[in-house]
Amino acid sequence: MKHLIFIFLLSFLNSTENGCMNCHLELDDDRDEGEKIVTPYLSGVHAARGISCVDCHGGDPEEEEDEDAAMWDADDFMGELEKADQLEMCGKCHSDPGFMRLHSASIKTDQVQQYHTSGHGKALFNGNDKAAICTDCHGVHGMQPVKDPRSSVYALNIPFTCSKCHSDPIYMEESQLPTDQLNDYQNSVHGKALLEHGDIGAPACNDCHGNHGAAPPDVVHVKDICGTCHVNNRNLFQKSHLFTTLMEKGFGQCETCHDNHNVVKPDDSFLDWSGKSLCRQCHPEGGEAKDMSQHFYSIIDSLKTGLHLAHALVDSAEQKGMIVDDLFFHLEEARKTLIHTRTNIHSFDIAYVDTHAIPGFTAIEAAISGAGNSLEEFKFRRSGLFYFSLIITFLVFVLGFKIKGMTDKKIPRSE
Amino acid sequence: MKMIYDWLNQRLDLDSAWNFAKKKRVPIFYGTVWYYLGGISLFLFAVQLVTGILLVLYYQPGAETAFESVKFIVSKVEFGWLIREIHSWSANLFILFAFLHMFTVFFAKAYRKPRELTWFTGMLLLVLGMAFGFSGYLLPWNELAFFATKVGSDIAGAIPFVGEFMLKVLRAGEEVTGATLTRFYGIHIAVLPGIFTIILGIHLMLVQFQGMSVPPEIEKLPEKKRRTIPFFPDFVLRDFMVWLIVLNVIALLAVFFPWELGQKADPLAPAPAGIRPEWYFMFMFQTLKLIPPHVLFIEGELFGILLFSLGGLIWFFVPFLDKKSHLGIRSKFWTYFGIFLVIYMVVLTIWGYMV
Repeated sequence: MKHLIFIFLLSFLNSTENGCMNCHLELDDDRDEGEKIVTPYLSGVHAARGISCVDCHGGDPEEEEDEDAAMWDADDFMGELEKADQLEMCGKCHSDPGFMRLHSASIKTDQVQQYHTSGHGKALFNGNDKAAICTDCHGVHGMQPVKDPRSSVYALNIPFTCSKCHSDPIYMEESQLPTDQLNDYQNSVHGKALLEHGDIGAPACNDCHGNHGAAPPDVVHVKDICGTCHVNNRNLFQKSHLFTTLMEKGFGQCETCHDNHNVVKPDDSFLDWSGKSLCRQCHPEGGEAKDMSQHFYSIIDSLKTGLHLAHALVDSAEQKGMIVDDLFFHLEEARKTLIHTRTNIHSFDIAYVDTHAIPGFTAIEAAISGAGNSLEEFKFRRSGLFYFSLIITFLVFVLGFKIKGMTDKKIPRSE
Repeated sequence: MKMIYDWLNQRLDLDSAWNFAKKKRVPIFYGTVWYYLGGISLFLFAVQLVTGILLVLYYQPGAETAFESVKFIVSKVEFGWLIREIHSWSANLFILFAFLHMFTVFFAKAYRKPRELTWFTGMLLLVLGMAFGFSGYLLPWNELAFFATKVGSDIAGAIPFVGEFMLKVLRAGEEVTGATLTRFYGIHIAVLPGIFTIILGIHLMLVQFQGMSVPPEIEKLPEKKRRTIPFFPDFVLRDFMVWLIVLNVIALLAVFFPWELGQKADPLAPAPAGIRPEWYFMFMFQTLKLIPPHVLFIEGELFGILLFSLGGLIWFFVPFLDKKSHLGIRSKFWTYFGIFLVIYMVVLTIWGYMV
């Protein structure tokens, strides 16, 4: 049955391809899953776009009956290739903008060029045969488009594709690179977002290190890598006195506090001197760093506490049926200020942080005052209702007595 | 004061009306309490009228202004919240008491000769009351009302022959838009009140001229065993007392159970979960949901509409169909029919809210 399906699929490709596949399909039957050729090819992007065996490997598929004439005797035949030759093979099409435009205009054509600048490329051309080449990351015959979840370079799969080599201590021995990155990444805020929550917007290895030009960032440029996403943090940090000091002393940047692969979820307690303040790592003696750390912590804590209280009051007023839509704008403003303040601390400037926190405190005050007014208004309504009910009850009693008196006088009782 | 009375009396013959009121008597028996239901409905209509006029002073119809103006009324206008809450609550209570009034009239066989016209006008008033509710529900232009109106007008559009025409007339176009809102507003504050007031006038006039009906078994009692009280002032004072209690209940509901304004309607947004009509349409809505897509050769929705139309017609013409009632005999069939209808409406309404 499986054969029938393949033969059906093959019938859609032109006849010259069938010569290769007819033989290799039979060979696939005797191979392990990972070594099969035609089976993965048929489910891959190249088959879907009509790129045939000949387009990559050359040869003459019309010589179906003669293996030598079909492959080994053909001038342009390329069977199993050396790593460097693979680059040439893939680049034949992927570096040709005219050709690529016909198949997928959105795909870039500078991969080979970038590869030469990458850690992988440099290692390969320095004679390290273990360095990754196109097929090591993308697969051999069954390549899928990057956005296809089956692709080895789909966002969710990238950490595991890279770790195939980078987590193998024996394989990486020659390069002397650490092999604990995947483990660190899986515990990081980025790794959890990507791998646990499936947020493909979260950075994987390639988002920081690059794709085809993958290389470890040097110390000076870490802030720019992190700053790709954390723009405001980077801009504030770059202008801070701390940045200058770290640069002068040759220390790291973002990773000094946040680590690199193991970036844990930031927590306000990182600023709490009496708790697990990160500042203490470099400033065990306290001093100015302690004051700044405590000040930032207390500003954020005040905003948080105020926001919490304002929220509770606004919710309470809303539950009582009061219209508090406007107050939610104040709460939103306060919430935004809290987030911005957490960013603003990267300026390491007390005056800057204080000034920019003011709108948050103003919004909290407005929300608390508005909610207080609404709750007062509800009390007023309740007491109004009480007095109204009192008057109505009095009137009802008066009328009741009046009616009773009239009834007793007027209605002749029947027997 | 006497001078004014005399002046008016010479022109309006107030003495005759006064003499009529003095002579009019109200029967006293186990079901006298039912008489208050009509009075309460009348009182609630008056409350609707007064609060409705006050709301009109601030309400601005239109897709861009309706929601904002209602929000302004309830949050900025002095006691605006109270007026809106009373209007909304009294509208719902009006329908409730009108239903109760109708069923007590039905079970007391008060529709029998010579009060057929009172029954017909009463039924028309209930239908108009529901039309008031349907048109008023859309006016705050919030999400729930928008989609409920869409569904409700879709159902009207499924009526054979005239459905498509009715749908366009109701919506002022193909879809529910700002134009629909303006149309509903016009219907709610001008067309319906005009028609309602005329029919209510006829209904009240008939009640005054024909007097209160009593059930057949009370009617058969000898004259000396039938107790009555003067309509004025005895019964009027009782009515007044009940109205005060109802007013207090409305105030209580307004303060402790305010109607949510919700989110502004967005015609481009997907329908939110939990779209449902006003509670008094729920039994019909739930029935339509339960009917299979096709019943014999008719579409399910159409079948449901035909079923309700037929049921409504039978209910409307019950004074002609229940021939025994004219002879002063209670027809078991029609009593059971009424009981079945009450149970059906209650069960389907509860069911509708549970799913």
